[in-house]
Amino acid sequence: MRLLGKRPTWLYKQPVRWAFLAATIALLLSFPFWASRYWIDVGFYVGLYALLGLGLNVILGEVGLFNLGHAAFWALGAYTTAILNVRLGIPTLALLPLSALVAGGCAWLISSPIIHLRGDYLCIVTIALGEIVRLVLINNPAGLTGGPNGVIGIARPVFLGHVIRTPLDFYFLVWAMVALCAFALRQLQRSRIGRAWNYIREDEIAAEAMGVDVRSLKLLAFVLGAALAGLAGNIFAAKMRMVSPDSFTFMESCLMFCIVLLGGMGSIPGTILGAALVVLFPEIFRPVAQYRLLFFGLALAATMYFRPGGLWPRRRAVEFTAGRAARP
Amino acid sequence: MRALILGLVFLAVSVWAQPILIGFQGPLTGSWAVEGDWALKSVQIAVEIVNARGGILGRPIQLVVEDDGGTPKGGTLAAQKLIAAGVKFVVGTYGSMVCMPSSELYEEEGVLHINYGCTRVDLSARGFKYYFRTSGRDDSQARFFVEYVIPLFGAKRIAVMHDNTAYALGVAEDVLRFMKPLLDAGKLQLVYYDAIMPGERDYTPALTALRDANPDIWYYTGYYPEWALLLRQGKDLGLDWKKIKAVGSNACPISEAVKIAGIDAVMGAMITQEPLPAFLVEKYTLAKEFVTSYEAKYGPIHDSPWATYAADAIFTLAFAIEATKSLDPVVVARYLRSGAVVGEGITGPLSFSPEGDRLGVPYMLLICNEKGESALFDPAVHGHLVGM
Repeated sequence: MRLLGKRPTWLYKQPVRWAFLAATIALLLSFPFWASRYWIDVGFYVGLYALLGLGLNVILGEVGLFNLGHAAFWALGAYTTAILNVRLGIPTLALLPLSALVAGGCAWLISSPIIHLRGDYLCIVTIALGEIVRLVLINNPAGLTGGPNGVIGIARPVFLGHVIRTPLDFYFLVWAMVALCAFALRQLQRSRIGRAWNYIREDEIAAEAMGVDVRSLKLLAFVLGAALAGLAGNIFAAKMRMVSPDSFTFMESCLMFCIVLLGGMGSIPGTILGAALVVLFPEIFRPVAQYRLLFFGLALAATMYFRPGGLWPRRRAVEFTAGRAARP
Repeated sequence: MRALILGLVFLAVSVWAQPILIGFQGPLTGSWAVEGDWALKSVQIAVEIVNARGGILGRPIQLVVEDDGGTPKGGTLAAQKLIAAGVKFVVGTYGSMVCMPSSELYEEEGVLHINYGCTRVDLSARGFKYYFRTSGRDDSQARFFVEYVIPLFGAKRIAVMHDNTAYALGVAEDVLRFMKPLLDAGKLQLVYYDAIMPGERDYTPALTALRDANPDIWYYTGYYPEWALLLRQGKDLGLDWKKIKAVGSNACPISEAVKIAGIDAVMGAMITQEPLPAFLVEKYTLAKEFVTSYEAKYGPIHDSPWATYAADAIFTLAFAIEATKSLDPVVVARYLRSGAVVGEGITGPLSFSPEGDRLGVPYMLLICNEKGESALFDPAVHGHLVGM
């Protein structure tokens, strides 16, 4: 069932797309100047979940690897930031790349032996992975993670002498990251790697037969997606100024999964839209307090029913080699 | 003419009875929704009582309620929502790790924040100016267990079990800290100290280990769902609560445990507890009024101390604002920190240390009697249940 009917072709005309992009950026930039503190904070969480969604989108959307343990990499990034900042006093913002590196490195170590698993099997292993990481954090290895109490007293990040502390500062920090990552991922989508990823998603055996290095490319997607989650972890730790295992539950992994499925697999704008919905819905339904998660669930189910391909599915690009007339 | 009178009445009402906004932040959804619901109802009753007495400074209280879902992230959003609503006084929330980031926002914005269900010790060690709590701290309960409960039963072999959550680990570690001199002197023996995994269905391995350790008393510091399962499975495994005194911590309401595990498994089990409203009515007039109003509106009173402390947070605000004649959080906070007794609440005199901790929180030992109800432990009445 198609709710919106056939999409009009003018939507895909280049000037329209540029205008739409410009309008979105203008909206995001001007938003904090007319919204309240509360809505700015909601905007921050939309950005944070967009970042997490973009990371998972690489793994789930581009390559089709079912990963229901993405919160684990988020937790690794957050704890890396928290521990190194509190123990060694390394500035929080300087830990941004390191958090991504640690999360990505751990993803490489962990996923190497399981990357050959397909579909549901991989899914089950990633669920276990998410839980194991959370339990390890609770068990306080070497007194580093503070157990269930977590780590508190993370310093505020400082950017060129400006202390990032207000909701406004964090809003811009997270959306700058989202913009940067979205741009990089778009470039990647159009590269050899991006096309090979999609090939693997559509038909792994055919891809392998055509000489695509399936294993390395899958690993690359896993590491890249996890590194993005690590990035988000750093920003989350800086914002909350504390990390505790309660924040990285299985529910969070499910939410990220929802973001990618809601938005449309492999679609960058779709993922950002999905993040917006997942964060906004429970907030919009605040007036009905106890029932808000019920409405959230209903909305998710309805979306999946009416638009099974996601709200903003990725359009398939038709590309031709030079020297051949383009016939649609 | 009629319109003019109505207009004047409206004007008078808007000038004289403009409500004072008080925020409530609590877990209305999520895993602690029961506690959030009880706390909200209790706070609403407290507001009704204050309003029926003419409000604060002649103005009624209006509650602004926000749900934090029991997560740190939900806590920050709820706090921002309350701050954006222009609230200057907030009552909330349940769970120390939820409280931590929210209280930071309140502190930054100069919002007076009275906590009702967070017992982590270092919450009040952050040098905050606007942070208070009407509840006790983790270590006050541990002290009660070591200095009162252990000698009461003459226990020598002690078992401590927790579930690795922030609160449970805190209590367990404090028990060890207070027991240390006694352990070092050889007067007590710690025969079992371990954690269980919350949310599991089968705790037989942990219970077998507990049985083999053969303790005189078993202190479980954790939440009621696991405690109920432990009691049920322990009973099925043949553990005798007359030989091993089963004591739970204050997050194990007996009524909930009975619902999950049944009367036969919980009977004779005890909990260390802040005073519950049902036991306070004989002592404090406000408690009597509170319980009567609550039961008239919502049925039988809950047995959660936290919800009672939430109501007391409203009374603290009412007394303190009335006493200072000021709606400025700075003035009210300074007054609260002075250590003065601001009034007699449901749980007794309300006064605070300069750090914002409640002064003098009493504890009590409750037991599940033959009817499955919580009763104040009295050796003469309940001794046979615990083999005394």
